[in-house]
Amino acid sequence: MMSNPYFNALLTAAGAIIFILATSYGLGVFASWMAKRRGATAKVQENTFAGYLFAAPWIVGFIIFVIIPLVFSLYWSFTDYRVISSDPPQWVGFENYSNLILNDDGFRQSIVNTLYLTVLGLPLQISVALLLAVLLNQKLKGERVFRMAFYLPVILGFNTAVLLCWRLMLNTGTGIINQIIRGLTQAFPPFGYLNRAAIYLQEISSAFFLGISNGNFNLLNKVIEAGFPAEVRVPLWVQSPLWSKMSVVLLMVWGCGTMMLIFLAGLNNIPKELNEAAEVDGATKWKQFWKISLPLLSPHIFYNLVVGMINALQIFEPIFVLYRDNGPLVPSAISMVYYLWQASFSHFEIGYGSAISWIILIIILVITFVQFRMQDRWVTYDLY
Amino acid sequence: MQKKIIWQIIKKLILYVLLTGATILMSFPLFWMISSSLKTIEETNSAGIVWVPKAPTLQAYIDIFQNANFMRSYFNSTFFVAVAMVGTLISIAAVAYAFSRVEWPGRNLVFFLMLSTMMIPPQALIVPQYVFFNKLNWVGTFNPIIIPGYFAGGAAMIFLLRQSMAQIPKELDESAFMDGASHIQIWWEVIMPLMKAPIATISTFLFVGLWNSLLAPLMYLQTVDLYTLPVFVSTLYNINQTVQPWPTIMAAAVLTTVPLMIVFFFAQRFILESVVMTGLK
Repeated sequence: MMSNPYFNALLTAAGAIIFILATSYGLGVFASWMAKRRGATAKVQENTFAGYLFAAPWIVGFIIFVIIPLVFSLYWSFTDYRVISSDPPQWVGFENYSNLILNDDGFRQSIVNTLYLTVLGLPLQISVALLLAVLLNQKLKGERVFRMAFYLPVILGFNTAVLLCWRLMLNTGTGIINQIIRGLTQAFPPFGYLNRAAIYLQEISSAFFLGISNGNFNLLNKVIEAGFPAEVRVPLWVQSPLWSKMSVVLLMVWGCGTMMLIFLAGLNNIPKELNEAAEVDGATKWKQFWKISLPLLSPHIFYNLVVGMINALQIFEPIFVLYRDNGPLVPSAISMVYYLWQASFSHFEIGYGSAISWIILIIILVITFVQFRMQDRWVTYDLY
Repeated sequence: MQKKIIWQIIKKLILYVLLTGATILMSFPLFWMISSSLKTIEETNSAGIVWVPKAPTLQAYIDIFQNANFMRSYFNSTFFVAVAMVGTLISIAAVAYAFSRVEWPGRNLVFFLMLSTMMIPPQALIVPQYVFFNKLNWVGTFNPIIIPGYFAGGAAMIFLLRQSMAQIPKELDESAFMDGASHIQIWWEVIMPLMKAPIATISTFLFVGLWNSLLAPLMYLQTVDLYTLPVFVSTLYNINQTVQPWPTIMAAAVLTTVPLMIVFFFAQRFILESVVMTGLK
């Protein structure tokens, strides 16, 4: 059947609006009837009707798009359901979960990769965000413009178009980043040592994490045996499994604008009197930062850490753009959501995919729960 | 005294140098995108640094404009973002009104439920939602990326708008009630006209989120004539090509990001403040 896809979409949208209006009205009538039965006054009945009428789009959407999918995916996660086969799903108990945790290499790699991003990437990202926030907080003229420039990557960052630009810049041979590194090394030899030291450290840590995910530390031994990198070495951004995650870290650091704004708000909330009093007592700016600002920012640091961790689990676009179809690199870079997409939609194994979704959901709920529990210990000062 | 002033000037100078340096680093990809779109393929693959092309050429733009699939995906993105935004904004505004201006039994419970959905990652729902939309025969249409928003998609945005609506004095709707106005009239004629700034903020976040979205369009728009920009642009780069047409890809990238830049330029004063309030991305 040939039909116009745009007309079709508009028609369905109109249908959805009618559905929403009807269910909203129905919910409103039902709620006010319930209120009437309980003997509420006319005023309360009217408010009950209006409240449910206006809130109904969310309530109905919550049931259709959240509750029902969650219940079904919980059920499917215990079955071998596949969307293509017409057989009814067979109950398999905990098989999907035990396969994921015990036998699935891809899943383990995605967890280890997230761990790498959390252990090495997040501290870098948070430090850069904090540094930028401290610089902006000096209240110089033009602060707005700088703030805009630092936040812009968040707006652009996850569009595939911009990610492709990064792909171009990260080319090992001709990419601009490596060309700048080469140029600086030639012009300024100490920079070369710095570069090589950074490469060495990065490759050792990356090989260590790859070792955890394979259970095989040969690569780590090789990197250590090869010793300090040669003079001509440059990072192998999107070419080597040792560097695939570092490229993602680079993108995370570039997109630190949200974290920066949160730090900036925190810095603004620190009472000026504290720094003034410290100044009178003869504390240096450096000391003031470590002894006053940083402790008072601790809730913000913790918030950014938790949100950053959840975001690392969910990274999808950069990996899709940088490593899609690049078989050898994919395992070294995938996030949990990328793995979910790969596992569910290449073979349409709905049962298995549902089990992955539930594990991701549980991890995120646990992290959030820990955040709430730890907050009391971290919040040193009530800022709001 | 004089020494102190000189020291202050030096300090300011250092700060400006640092801030400018950081700005250059942060916006470098943007510069590189534009510069590369004006180059020839040889220049984008050259072994030496070509900061700006010696003879800028618009050939890449001509090529991309002649690519019917690119133009189509541009239209698709515009269409889907526009249709999705209208319904999402209106339903969010209605729900925010219920949570801020009306007293109804169960309000606190429903509000708490709504806030707690912020913890559920949308990706945890993609598998069952895919099955659901597949049953509806919606795979291969725009519906799955438009319709869910119509059910007030986006708890953080409801929260943002609710906070703004709650700040309006109660007397305003009470006097409108005295004049015999209904809730619908108060919502649309009294409250909504006062919400221009928060609506602008929400629209910006919605626009950016939809314009950049990749995962859902990738799953549901299965044919190239339905592709949105992010999906189509990602197909321009293909690892199996021996030579990547970088100038053309970058021209497509520039054209894709232009709407984002325009929206950000006009809305930045609204969004920078609200990011902090809700932790929105």
